[in-house]
Amino acid sequence: MQITVSVRRYNPQDKETPSYWQEYSLEVEETSSVLDSLIKIREEEDGSLALRCSCRSAICGSCAMRINGHAKLACNTKVSDVAEDGGTIKVEPAGVMPVIKDLVVDQTLFWDKVKQVSPWLQPEGEEPEAEYLAPNSDMTHLAGVMACIMCGACVSDCTVLEMDPNFIGPAALAKAYRFAADPRDDQDASRLAALSEYGGVWDCTRCYECVEVCPKGVAPMDRIMALRDRAMEAGYTNNNGARHTDAFEASVSHSGRLNELTLPIKSFGVLNLPAQMSMAPVAIRALMRRKIPPIIHKSVPGVKNVRRLVESVKEEQQDEQAAG
Amino acid sequence: MLEHDVLVVGAGLAGMRAALAAHQSGANVAIISKVHPVRSHSNAAQGGINAALTDRGDNWEDHAFDTIKGSDYLGDQDAIEYMCTEAGPELIDLEHMGVIFNRDDEGRLGTRAFGGQQRARTFFVADFTGQAILHVLYEQLMKADVRVYEEWFVLELIVEEGECCGVIAMEIATGSVFVIRAKSVILCTGGLGRLFEPSTNALIVTGDGIALAYQVGAPVMDMEMVQYHPTTLKGSGVLITEGARGEGAHLLNKDGERFMQRYAPNMMELASRDVVSRSEQTEIDEGRGIDGCVLLDCRHLGEDLIAERLSQILEIGMDFAGVDIRKEPIPIQPGMHYIMGGIKTDMDGRTIVPGLYAAGECANVSVHGGNRLGANSLLDTVVFGHRSGRHAADWANGKAYRDLNVDDYVDGKEKEFSDLFSRQTDERWSQIRLDLGKAMDRYMGVYRDEEGMQSLLAMLPGFRERFAQASLQDKGRVFNTDLIFTLELGFMLDCAESIVLGGIERKESRGAHSRTDYPNRDDENWLKHVLVTRTDDGPEVSQLPVTITKWQPEERKY
Amino acid sequence: MKYAFFPGCVSRGGCPELYPATIKVCERLGLELDGLDKRGATCTGAGVLQEKNLFLGDVFNARTFAMAEELDLPLLTICSTCQGVMSQANKRLKDDADYLARVNAHLALEGLKYKGTAQPRHLLWTLIEDVGIEELKSFVIRPLTNLRVAPFYGCYMVRPSDALEFKLYPEREDSLERVMSALGADVVDFPGKTRCCGFPILTINERNSVKMVALHTSDAKDLGADALVTPCPLCHLNLDGYQPKAMQQAQRDIDIPIIHLPQLLGLAMGFDAKEMGLSRHIISAKRVLSKIKVPA
Repeated sequence: MQITVSVRRYNPQDKETPSYWQEYSLEVEETSSVLDSLIKIREEEDGSLALRCSCRSAICGSCAMRINGHAKLACNTKVSDVAEDGGTIKVEPAGVMPVIKDLVVDQTLFWDKVKQVSPWLQPEGEEPEAEYLAPNSDMTHLAGVMACIMCGACVSDCTVLEMDPNFIGPAALAKAYRFAADPRDDQDASRLAALSEYGGVWDCTRCYECVEVCPKGVAPMDRIMALRDRAMEAGYTNNNGARHTDAFEASVSHSGRLNELTLPIKSFGVLNLPAQMSMAPVAIRALMRRKIPPIIHKSVPGVKNVRRLVESVKEEQQDEQAAG
Repeated sequence: MLEHDVLVVGAGLAGMRAALAAHQSGANVAIISKVHPVRSHSNAAQGGINAALTDRGDNWEDHAFDTIKGSDYLGDQDAIEYMCTEAGPELIDLEHMGVIFNRDDEGRLGTRAFGGQQRARTFFVADFTGQAILHVLYEQLMKADVRVYEEWFVLELIVEEGECCGVIAMEIATGSVFVIRAKSVILCTGGLGRLFEPSTNALIVTGDGIALAYQVGAPVMDMEMVQYHPTTLKGSGVLITEGARGEGAHLLNKDGERFMQRYAPNMMELASRDVVSRSEQTEIDEGRGIDGCVLLDCRHLGEDLIAERLSQILEIGMDFAGVDIRKEPIPIQPGMHYIMGGIKTDMDGRTIVPGLYAAGECANVSVHGGNRLGANSLLDTVVFGHRSGRHAADWANGKAYRDLNVDDYVDGKEKEFSDLFSRQTDERWSQIRLDLGKAMDRYMGVYRDEEGMQSLLAMLPGFRERFAQASLQDKGRVFNTDLIFTLELGFMLDCAESIVLGGIERKESRGAHSRTDYPNRDDENWLKHVLVTRTDDGPEVSQLPVTITKWQPEERKY
Repeated sequence: MKYAFFPGCVSRGGCPELYPATIKVCERLGLELDGLDKRGATCTGAGVLQEKNLFLGDVFNARTFAMAEELDLPLLTICSTCQGVMSQANKRLKDDADYLARVNAHLALEGLKYKGTAQPRHLLWTLIEDVGIEELKSFVIRPLTNLRVAPFYGCYMVRPSDALEFKLYPEREDSLERVMSALGADVVDFPGKTRCCGFPILTINERNSVKMVALHTSDAKDLGADALVTPCPLCHLNLDGYQPKAMQQAQRDIDIPIIHLPQLLGLAMGFDAKEMGLSRHIISAKRVLSKIKVPA
């Protein structure tokens, strides 16, 4: 099929020219990947095009870039999935990280985040002579996280990192989960404490970008949610995120609906006056426009059914917990 | 001045294991790698790592025998004994570092069956064992805070007064040339797969380290032993793990026949790789293939097993062949995969150049001989990476850095670069590499003969001539991949020379070296290693006896 | 067409203008609504409950699905977040029969059982899949000519795409643009249209949350949009309610109205501003109204 590949070019050695789009027209097989096309350009047409690539089979993580606006591995993205015959594919470097040249980005930030979570196994006590015993189900579960190839697609498209480089970010948090959930690791408490701070698990917006773009099914956001759960279980609840979740669950369990008036108050902590005051202008503006929830929070009809349901679910969950 | 007691070139499993060992020995160690460590090609090892654990009722002698038989008796038995006895401790070390090996019902490490072995002794992480180990070794590297020269490309080894004392290297991001001084250098640069077209290997696998050592006069050994993997995808050469057959997948010809029953009635699909690849090639050559392929059938394994243990293969089938392996057989063919040959080392990883060590696929301590068993490569990397790291650290211990005239080295390279950058021809690395790769595949593939190899040898000067004319389209220094590929092509040409010479020299069929003009193994004349050494008068071919400890050569049947 | 209608908490809470606007528009379109809120349906959990107690969230949503099944009516939502959370819950329940049975054991307390047939669908998708774009055009009596609108989907209407069945319904991917065009408006393509509004971290990291508001609203403004249109009331809460703060933070004027999807439909169908509750926004919608010559 005939395609046009429009590549975002940038060469720091050419101080006059900022980044620009360059179009290449070429004929490729239906089954070709975007990487095949870029390699063809590089080998046959323009040797100055810089990109990283190596394995061509989605295992080395070199070729993450934005294809038609979203982070993908060029090697496992089929041309025919992102363009019609005669169509154009837009290829840009990954987001969030600074560009070195063309499609090559500087991943220092990515690796700094990973290093921030102390990404190595930390067992306590003496090493056994043989292997640590561990259930296969735990190991295969962790394999789902270890499948991460550190390509940086999730970091590229993370909506929080786009705003705030302090966020640990999806890849590193997934890595942190890999240790927190490893039965051989004994540093859960210190890991979860650190992850409950600013920049940690609670800063995620739950936007699902990382889940959507991950080429290996790691679902980083789901791991972040699991870390939130573990952090709360471990008692790290003195933060807005945990309070928000607690209050939400309490509200929905009690009345079947969300109490939008008290939720933010409870999230900040009732005694956190500065935070409460910071909401005041917003609240006053809303009040003036009558853009507010009813002052009296009403339960859903037949709320006793809901409460009985909650009780029944929680009983089952407690029994499960007791059974280990 | 950049300087380290021990400098490891390459950051795959062998390189990282060597660096950790040297670090533990107290050496100031650094790694230099042309890609970030987790991008290394060790990632691609899917199936697992072999070890005979005594508490599983296995024993290292059985493992050693399978390895020796697999090697077609070309492996050095002392090295194989060492590898097989160290396998258990090395495996447990990896587990303690954090590798999430699959478990059995009791929570102990679980095994799967692999080709050419009497029992299941392959330990694994789903079907991405290499990646799982590679990432854990990188975790350990971060923990140890070992310096990594990430995306630095080694141009040349520095040898003065016969000793290796550093490297000249280029930082890819800036294109600047540096000298890194070292008391010892360990080459862990992996194989040379891209010298063949197609190949299962990643694009970075270009034989750099083998050529670097060859260029300073270190002999390379048994380079004719090139493994063709039985299950690779047509065209792209993407690998389908032997684990698929280990889990019970069948090989079928166009008539739906499990043809391996005619070639290896006992081991069937799990015979040694050379045997299976030859069988497939015969089926294809005799007209029982489909479009140059035979079929790998996983359907009967069931969706659950495929999802849990062969998930990556499921993905690869969908992405790269458009085949759902749960629903239909996938067409596969033998494809270049691994080089058993490499830089000749002793068991400590030493080459003949003092201060220069090598481990992993680029080295040949000779544990794989004529044919490597599946899941022995990972084992080789960690066992000999570990040992060479320790010995390189010992060598460096108490030694002083040599005074080097850094500017001379850097200026020399800059001069070469300015010549290269100023060339204006239509010749480029890409076309030369493609032509070379196709020629290698054609004449050094599953079956070889004198005439073909001689014609290939005669072609090499032409390739060198074209290479000397090759020019660059990228004239800048920042992240110039055009330059990198051109430099790699130079390395590949050196590797090609040693492979062809080795192949012509060995006048028998053994392991992966299958000659139609000498179809039989000839223990009387060829139970020998073939060495190629570069001298001032050109390459020199020599022979060395194989080390036999207690396993005398027998006929090889599966 | 008749629907089991799930209005969600916010359409009668923080965005009280949304519910009445929806009712009027649906009535005009001939979409009859049987409110599940009146039958005691609970909050979906909004993804927040799920981070603490995923199973309880799934039980709540299965309960809502069972109610719709009992009425034998398709399930209609008007909130991207409700839609996404429901779609994800539904996928878990449908993919795993054992899990569904475990959930149903609890629903049995109320005599309910979820059979796994529900297909929760946002009004936006319903407009395309049930009403049809051509049919929709026939309801337009005040084409929104010259009104430049930028879409803002809300994360849960676009991700994760497998739970939202984009493969099965590819037109969902640009449904908002299709509907806006059908109403006669000019669509402003806009990089932030599928990004996060910042609402979920408002009480956790307000600075980042407001930064997101600033980025997307100013991008849309700079691309010449007169308004952002969203099918998600939570996005509305943040993009509208926190825009004044975003302007402070970004130290620039933005002031771009945020219009609920049903309000945009209503304007095109001839409803007046008051009927659509447009006076209740923090960022005044007056400029939008004057552009299409509707009295404020």
